[in-house]
Amino acid sequence: MAFAPLDPLLHNQLRLAVMSLLVAVEEGDFNFLLEKTGATRGNLSVQITKLKEAGYIEVKKTFKENYPNTVCRISRKGIDAFEAYVKAIRGYLSK
Amino acid sequence: MNTDLAPEQSLKLIESMIRQAKRSFQRLSFYFLLWGVLLIAAMLATYLLRDMDPATGKGAPWGVAGFAGGFISMVYGARQGRRERVINAMDGLIGWLWASFVITMIITIAVSLAAHRDPGPMITLLTGIPTFMTGRIMRFRPLIMGGVIFWVAGAVMHFTQDAFTITMIYCAAMVLGYILPGLLLKRMEDGLRTT
Repeated sequence: MAFAPLDPLLHNQLRLAVMSLLVAVEEGDFNFLLEKTGATRGNLSVQITKLKEAGYIEVKKTFKENYPNTVCRISRKGIDAFEAYVKAIRGYLSK
Repeated sequence: MNTDLAPEQSLKLIESMIRQAKRSFQRLSFYFLLWGVLLIAAMLATYLLRDMDPATGKGAPWGVAGFAGGFISMVYGARQGRRERVINAMDGLIGWLWASFVITMIITIAVSLAAHRDPGPMITLLTGIPTFMTGRIMRFRPLIMGGVIFWVAGAVMHFTQDAFTITMIYCAAMVLGYILPGLLLKRMEDGLRTT
């Protein structure tokens, strides 16, 4: 029986962690994601850009108390991709 | 960067991150401590002013506590909102829960005063609902217990007319239902902030 293919964009530890965090909240800023994932600033920034380019998340650059602030929010496309990924993973585990 | 995630690892990572995100509530301990102290002060002042004519200000302590608490809560909430790093859907739910409680409380006070009844026992009883539910949403047992304490205190207060007994029951309920959970919540929030 064929396994459902796993989305290569989500099958990555840091990107999956970011998507899992964002799926559970309305929005989270860069420091929230940094604290929860334990990633480095550079790596997190790269992975956020990849998720944004894929249309999985929306990124808003704002200012908070005079400092730049990056706020991320999961998109409809991102939710669909995340759900498909979880379904595929469950398929692997149930076989 | 690990790209060869096993399915079990993926699922564990997803569960762990979602669990962490769902625990990311706004700081609420401040509100419980603030209102706990203000309402105890209002109750004690009401007891001390018990022989005063209601028309000359027996209800004043509650008015002062309500306005002071409302103003401080709004200022704190606005400042907190600007600093918040994450917006959790549950924060909004908790906010609406307390807003609906405040509306119910105002109606209860108005109706009770019009009927020449003391609104205290009913308000104490009603306080159990948002306290209990906030505890359930946050999975924070001291607040769940706090809600139960308000229910018990509110019920008991209905069966006594003695001002001293009512004051003591109310203050004890505030300490056990707001202040103690507020202190424990503050300790938890401070701990989460440093991890």
